[in-house]
Amino acid sequence: MAVTDRPALRERALVTQPSSKLRRPRSKDKQAWAYVAILGLSVFFVGPFLWLLLAALKTPAEWGSEPSILPKEAQWGNFTAALTDMDFVGYAGNSFFLALTYSVLITLSSAAVGFGFARFRAPGKGALFMILVSTMMIPQILTLLPTYVMFSRIGLINTYWPWVLWGLAASPYLVFLFRQFFAAIPRELEDAAIVDGAGWLRIFVQIFLPLSRPVLITSFVLSFTYMWGDYIAPALFLDLDRTTLSVAITAWYQDPAGNVIPTVQAAAASLYILPVLLIFFFAQRFFIRSTLGSGVKG
Amino acid sequence: MARKWTRSPRWAFYSFVSPWVLGFIVLTAAPMVYGFLVSLTNFDGSSPRWRWVGLRNYSELLHDSDALSALLRTLAFTAIVVPLSVGGSLFLAVLINRRLRAVGLWRTIFFLPSVVPVVAMAIMWKLVFNRDSGVLNSVLAYGGIEPINWLGGPTAFYALIVLMLWGVGGGMIIMLAALQGVPVELEEAATLDGAGRWTVFRHVTIPMISPVVLFAVITGVIGALQVLVQPLLLTSASGIAGVGTVPDSNRLFMVQVYQEFFLSNRFGYGSAMLWTFFVVVLGLTILLMRFSRTFVYYEVDADAEGGR
Repeated sequence: MAVTDRPALRERALVTQPSSKLRRPRSKDKQAWAYVAILGLSVFFVGPFLWLLLAALKTPAEWGSEPSILPKEAQWGNFTAALTDMDFVGYAGNSFFLALTYSVLITLSSAAVGFGFARFRAPGKGALFMILVSTMMIPQILTLLPTYVMFSRIGLINTYWPWVLWGLAASPYLVFLFRQFFAAIPRELEDAAIVDGAGWLRIFVQIFLPLSRPVLITSFVLSFTYMWGDYIAPALFLDLDRTTLSVAITAWYQDPAGNVIPTVQAAAASLYILPVLLIFFFAQRFFIRSTLGSGVKG
Repeated sequence: MARKWTRSPRWAFYSFVSPWVLGFIVLTAAPMVYGFLVSLTNFDGSSPRWRWVGLRNYSELLHDSDALSALLRTLAFTAIVVPLSVGGSLFLAVLINRRLRAVGLWRTIFFLPSVVPVVAMAIMWKLVFNRDSGVLNSVLAYGGIEPINWLGGPTAFYALIVLMLWGVGGGMIIMLAALQGVPVELEEAATLDGAGRWTVFRHVTIPMISPVVLFAVITGVIGALQVLVQPLLLTSASGIAGVGTVPDSNRLFMVQVYQEFFLSNRFGYGSAMLWTFFVVVLGLTILLMRFSRTFVYYEVDADAEGGR
């Protein structure tokens, strides 16, 4: 099933080096052409990061009235302003708390559901799995807006409960990831535990869950960065005083006339993306080490 | 057979999958049914004096020229963005999948933008496209081109597409893995038979990775059709109140739905739009699946059962 390939492929690609060892050596010209293309594309992909950083280091005048490419003197004060003009740390705390709660819960619930689909037989399993596959095709926004209307009628708006519920409900995408991993583990492993009289919950928690550490971390990283970056759910479900960093940095940093101050907002945005970039760097190293070490591939 | 059942009792299966089953009922099925019921009313989000209006919202939608042109614009947007991003990610993967210096660095550079949160992405591109101080207009000024108000008019559509393509690195990673999964023997055999590089790519590599390409196309279509946050955040106004300031060229269908919900407080009508949208997405997905049977090659039969 093509759909099941995705998480595994992603993991594999972060690990494997290009498999060009058996291909014919290319002519110098073709390689040169590839480098030109890569450098050109790098400008497109890196440019906005650099422009953001430059904007974050400019005075309002250098950005606005008399534009210049480079700031004369780096304005680190923009970063101080970004941290103090609004309760940056408080909003970051909200983002962190929501992302942490959501990603821990959804990782555990998806692992349990993936375990169920991988290790048991029962009537209706095939049908349930088909439904699981199909729900991946439902546009998320389609359920989000009616959920908002529903939750507003039962008083769940401006609370963090929706994130707990979403976390408990497991994600079809992550269920796949875990199902593939658990299905590849030999039966003998649980046979020994069954003989020793262990229940299924114990087998899952004490044997299978520790084994799936690479998948647990992948799932945690993916869902944490997803929630850290989510905009629409906090914008809809939370008021400005309880919302996350993603909403706050678009709502604050205004001058008295109500216009956004681009330099300070750029500084705030730089701080906001920093954890995601760090997590990615860390996770990439982790994927390489753990996957090569354990010989596990999705 | 009997031993199998004692080995893995039914209740164990049902308890382990229960979080997802309950979650599906409460957080997916219930909202969709509820949304359909709301679409048959004139509910405004707060007033208790709503009433049933039957299918009137749906018949109004058929004559709503704003909504229909938004739908057409969304289909055009999808038809532009999906081929560009699927083709782009494949191109990047092919480019990276060769013996190059510092290949890890290039892979990271191409991939990084795709993990940047959408809010930061919008802020960054607003700075790039800014009329007076943006880097794009500064570069164009060297060519003697007058400053363009990228985000204010019809050009905002191109800005939106560029923003979408900036995150193409996520797809590249998946394509890269697919390319590395193609057995080298197949490509070697074709080369020995006298096939050129392009022929090998077109007739061996592409068929071998076609299931992944199909997956990228389908998720890409679903993703592009429901784009909402990017046009909202690319406006000059800040945040969610900006929906009224989205330029016409960026009024995608979801932006229109959003406006009906939160600017006009027409929850019933907005829900009818959502359900119509669902039918469109479903239809397009089925169409793509059918169409794909002619050119997608499956090495192993799909195991839809999910058993071992």
